[in-house]
Amino acid sequence: MAIVKRKELSIGEKLYLPAIFRGLSMTFRQMFKKRVTRQYPEEPLPVNEVTRGQPRLAVNDDGTIRCVSCGLCEAACPAYAITIDGQETDRFIEREPERFDIDMLRCILCGFCEEACPKDAILMSDELELADFSREALIYDVERLKRPVSQLRPRLDYVYKVNERW
Amino acid sequence: MKSTTFDYRPGFADSDADDPLSGETIEVNMGPQHPATHGVLRLGMDLDGETMVRVDADVGYLHRGKEKTAESLGWAKFFPHTDRLDYVQPLINNIGYAMALEKLAGIEIPPRAEVVRVLLMEISRIAAHLIYLGTSSIDLGAVTMFFNTFKERENIYSILDAYTGHRMNNTYVRIGGLYADVDEKVEGMMREFLTQFPARVDEFEGLLTGNRIWYDRNRDVGVISPEEAMAWSLTGPILRGSGVEWDLRKNEPYCGYETYDFEIPVGTVGDCYDRYLVRVEEMRQSCKIALQALNRLKDTPGDVLAEDRRYILPPRTKVMSSMEELIAQFKIVTDLCLPKGEAYAGVESSKGELGFFAISDGTADPARLHIRAPGLMNVQAIPLIAEGRLLSDIVAIIGSLDFVMGEVDR
Ligand code: SF4
Ligand code: SF4
Repeated sequence: MAIVKRKELSIGEKLYLPAIFRGLSMTFRQMFKKRVTRQYPEEPLPVNEVTRGQPRLAVNDDGTIRCVSCGLCEAACPAYAITIDGQETDRFIEREPERFDIDMLRCILCGFCEEACPKDAILMSDELELADFSREALIYDVERLKRPVSQLRPRLDYVYKVNERW
Repeated sequence: MKSTTFDYRPGFADSDADDPLSGETIEVNMGPQHPATHGVLRLGMDLDGETMVRVDADVGYLHRGKEKTAESLGWAKFFPHTDRLDYVQPLINNIGYAMALEKLAGIEIPPRAEVVRVLLMEISRIAAHLIYLGTSSIDLGAVTMFFNTFKERENIYSILDAYTGHRMNNTYVRIGGLYADVDEKVEGMMREFLTQFPARVDEFEGLLTGNRIWYDRNRDVGVISPEEAMAWSLTGPILRGSGVEWDLRKNEPYCGYETYDFEIPVGTVGDCYDRYLVRVEEMRQSCKIALQALNRLKDTPGDVLAEDRRYILPPRTKVMSSMEELIAQFKIVTDLCLPKGEAYAGVESSKGELGFFAISDGTADPARLHIRAPGLMNVQAIPLIAEGRLLSDIVAIIGSLDFVMGEVDR
C-alpha cells in the first residue's frame, strides 16, 4: 500500500503567475520540437502486413477465385456482413461463389473471416479508406473484392507465421 | 493565506431571507450532448442560484443491448462486442471476457499468454488513464495537458497498431490465449515507450499537481467517504482514492499478478484531487508491471494459445493438410459449445472491477451473459457527491469519476 502524497501549495504556486510562465515556456519550447501531427489525407497511414484492413478475396495467378463458398467466413462473421451463394464449377475445387457480398458498412474489420477460412481465400488487405456516396455502393461484390494473391502474399505469410503453434 | 470554506447546504445558499427568489429552483438539463459529460449522459439538475439541489444522472442513451445480443451471437463472436464496451481499453475487456469463458470451459492458458496478457492490460490501463487525465483537465481548462497526454496515448496506439493491426477495438484475445505473439519489433517499441514514460508522468504531475486552478477546483470537491464508496459498490481508483485498499490484482490475483512487484496507491480524503493522484501513481505502477512483464517474455517461451482441440482453432498449416483438423475447424467456427454451468471472472480495469458472468446451457449461445460494468456504479455516485455543491463543480466531479458511456449503457 502506498498512500499518495497530497501536496500543499507553496507561496509561489499560490501566486499562480509563475505557473502561467511555466505553461507558456512549455508551449514555446514545443515550437522547436519535432511535430507529431500527421497530415492525414496527404500523408497516408503507415500500413504493413499486420494491418487489418478490409477483407479481400484472393485470386490465383490464373485468374480463378480461391473461395469454395463453404460458408465458414459467413458463419464466423460477428457483424453478419457476408452473404454467399454457391454454385458448381468444372474446376477441381468443384464449388465457387455465385454471389459473395461483403457489406463494408457492417464489417468491423475483426479478421474472424480470415481466421476461419480453410482455403486462404479471404484475407485482410491493407486497404483502409472507405467512402462513397450511397450505401448500396458500399456492398462490395466479388468483382470489387478480388485481389491477386501476389498482392496479399505478405499478409498470408504473416497469418501462417502467427498461427504456427502446438 | 487562510483558505475560506463555504457551507453549501442545499436550499440555504441564499441566506438573505428577504430575497423573493430565495429557495426557488430552476431545472437545467446538461447533456446528453455535452462535451463535459464524456459521452451521451444527461444530467437533470435543479439549481438554486448556483447550487445544485438535485442531480439526476440519466443513462441509457448509448444502450445497444450487448448482453441480449450475446444470447444470439455465440461465445466467440461476442469478442468484438466486448471491445466496444469501454472503448478506451479494449484489450482489458477482451481479457476479462476470455477469462470468464476459460473458467467455464476449464482451460488453462499457457504461461507466455499470461505474461503477454499482463503486458497488454497494463499498457491499456496507461492509455485509459491518459485519457482520463487529458479529458478531465481540458474540462477544467488545461488544454496543454490534453495535447500532451494524447501525444503519449498516440504512442501506445502505435504500439497496439503494430501488434494487432488496429489502433482501437483490437479483438486480439481468444479463448485460451491470444491470437498472436508479440514479436521483437513490438517488444522494442514497448520497451522504448515504457522506459521514457515515467519521466512524462512526472512532467504531467509538474503541470497539474501544484497548479493553482487544478488544485482549487479539485481539492475537497466530490468527497466520498470509504463507507459510502463501499455502500455504493464503487471500485477501482475511486474506491482507492477514498482510502480503501482494494485491487483485484492484489486481492484476487489473476493472470499471475501475485508474482509481480507493485504497489497499490490509496488516497486519504476521497476527493477529486485524491482520485487524480491515485490514477497518476497507478500509471507509474502500471509502467513498472509492464516492464517486469516485458523482461519475463524471453524467459517464458512457448505458445500464446492453449492446446485444446475442443474450443481452439487448430493451427493453419494442419487445417490445410489434414482432414481431422479441417473438421475441427468447421466444428469450432460454426458451433462452439461450452459446457453447462456458470462462471464469473473479474478483472481490475482502469475504472474498477469489470466482471463477466456467463451462464451456459451447453449450447453454442450463452444462456445469459451479464457484464458488471464499473462505470455504471461510478455514474450512480454523481448525485451522492454533487448535490449541494456549486454548478461548476459538476465538471470536475464527472471528470474524476471517469466513466465511458459505452460501458455504462452497454
Ligand atoms: S471461408 Fe474461405 S472458402 Fe469458405 S466461403 Fe469464406 S472465403 Fe470462401
Ligand atoms: S472482418 Fe469481421 S466483420 Fe468483416 S467480414 Fe470478416 S468476419 Fe465479418
